[in-house]
Amino acid sequence: MIAIQNLRLCRGKKELISSLTTQLEAGQVVAVLGPNGAGKSTLLQAVMVMFKPEHGLVSLNDASVAAYSKQDLSRLIAWQGDLPPAEFGLTVGQRLNLAMEVAHSEPQVMQQRFQSALAYLELESLQTRSLAELSSGERQRVEIAAIMVRDNPIWLMDEPTAHLDLRHQADCLKLMKKEAQNGRLILTVLHDLQQAAAVADIVILLDGKGGVEVGEAATMLTAQRLEPVFGVKLKGIGRDLMPIYSGEIDEEA
Amino acid sequence: MLLDKRSITMGIALFGVVLLVLFVALGMGEHWINPLGALSAMEKMILWDIRLPRLLTAFAVGGMLALAGAWFQVLLGNPLAEPYVLGVAGSAAVGAVSGMMLFPDSVVVTSVGAFIGAWVGIAAVLAFSHLGSTRLLLAGVVLAAFWGAVLMLLMALLPERGLMLAYAWMMGDLSHSSLPIWLLLLMWSLALGCGVFLSASLDKLLLGERHAQALGVNVQSLRKTLLLLASAVTAIAVTAAGTIGFVGLVVPHLMRLMFGSLHKVVLIASAVGGGVLLMIADTAARTAISPAELPVGVLTAMIGVPVFLVLLLRKR
Repeated sequence: MIAIQNLRLCRGKKELISSLTTQLEAGQVVAVLGPNGAGKSTLLQAVMVMFKPEHGLVSLNDASVAAYSKQDLSRLIAWQGDLPPAEFGLTVGQRLNLAMEVAHSEPQVMQQRFQSALAYLELESLQTRSLAELSSGERQRVEIAAIMVRDNPIWLMDEPTAHLDLRHQADCLKLMKKEAQNGRLILTVLHDLQQAAAVADIVILLDGKGGVEVGEAATMLTAQRLEPVFGVKLKGIGRDLMPIYSGEIDEEA
Repeated sequence: MLLDKRSITMGIALFGVVLLVLFVALGMGEHWINPLGALSAMEKMILWDIRLPRLLTAFAVGGMLALAGAWFQVLLGNPLAEPYVLGVAGSAAVGAVSGMMLFPDSVVVTSVGAFIGAWVGIAAVLAFSHLGSTRLLLAGVVLAAFWGAVLMLLMALLPERGLMLAYAWMMGDLSHSSLPIWLLLLMWSLALGCGVFLSASLDKLLLGERHAQALGVNVQSLRKTLLLLASAVTAIAVTAAGTIGFVGLVVPHLMRLMFGSLHKVVLIASAVGGGVLLMIADTAARTAISPAELPVGVLTAMIGVPVFLVLLLRKR
């Protein structure tokens, strides 16, 4: 579905990704992992043609993403990034309507999607509230709902679980898994290894120095692979992989 | 649909307000003249040849300033932006005063100078447009300060009579616009039409440039269109009436507080509301201490700011 060939990304003089070649298919959840500033969000933005690669090509259904009109691209790829600014006083309902205008569906279908997104993220009672009056977590839920209402085959999610409480994090992960099973491709930036282990089929691991590794989640999510990248001791395997905070902190103290 | 009914009600209400203000403002002056009463030839002349053109100029200029303000605000993602922040009005003032120095007796040269000056200011700002909103705003603020300094320099060099003219012009003056009324009203409607046409994309731009692009907006071309549109409208408004502040800042805010943030409504309400505010301000400016006149720019600030602050307090 998405093919990335020899992609090289730099920000200023820093090389984020030296060369990435991979193929992402419908039905997969692909997690992008790596330290701060390694280029995870930038990779998503390069797919969305918001960031210009130094070199290489991202293609979608065999055509370069840069060749699509913004409108066509917006019907294929949905992007969730930073929380949008709230100064201008848009309401939750208006924000979702703006996202929904992209879709070309029957009004009834749209209405149904709108309602089910509101219900899934428990936003019904906030529908007429201004974004400026909401907490970060509530605004994050609105952003996830804004992806749900669009029915695009590809979702790019940049830290979708940020700001969310535990239950909404779980709901968000469940949603990603379910939507991938429904045939969507979900490319997501995550920080929590257990969350990655819970949803990801494929992991793209950035080391922050230009290096990239791509592989099956099961083989990528091991202490041996991740410890040097994150510089933290890890224990456990698979879904139980977690950092050993106490040891680190005791050592320092 | 509920929305349609609401917008019809709103349209009727706005139209009614315009007519009411126009009627009262026409009548007001050194002497009250009832526009619907029996009129002498003299009174007819005062009403239709002096007061009406001036009111229509005020309406068009106020509406255009408010539209330009609304555009600059969404363009820069900053509710504090307005034409003056970007230095466009400052450079227009420099152009006008330069015109005055060269040909002290020609209103036309002053207007042409203002128009050229406005576009010089726009070109200067456009040179920074590729750097993104924050730096564009910063460049605008710095340029505004620069034009202010140039203006002070020119005024120090002006002879005394010219100084008074330049002063009146800088505080806004609707009494001797050299642009024809029909042109101003045409530009007002064109600007509003373009604004309404772009309103769906403008709404998405409220979410920030990346979100707008992800929702299918060609942000780069929209930004260019908006900058040109807002600048052209500012140039015309400033050429017609000098520098009148606060309309571009206060009116779009007021309209957002009253009608929400969606642009179709905000732009229509701003175009009309800005016009009404400036008609009221100009009427107050010419009647408050008649037969002398106050600078209208002082009045827009004195009416606009308290109203804005009261609404701001009530909203929270």
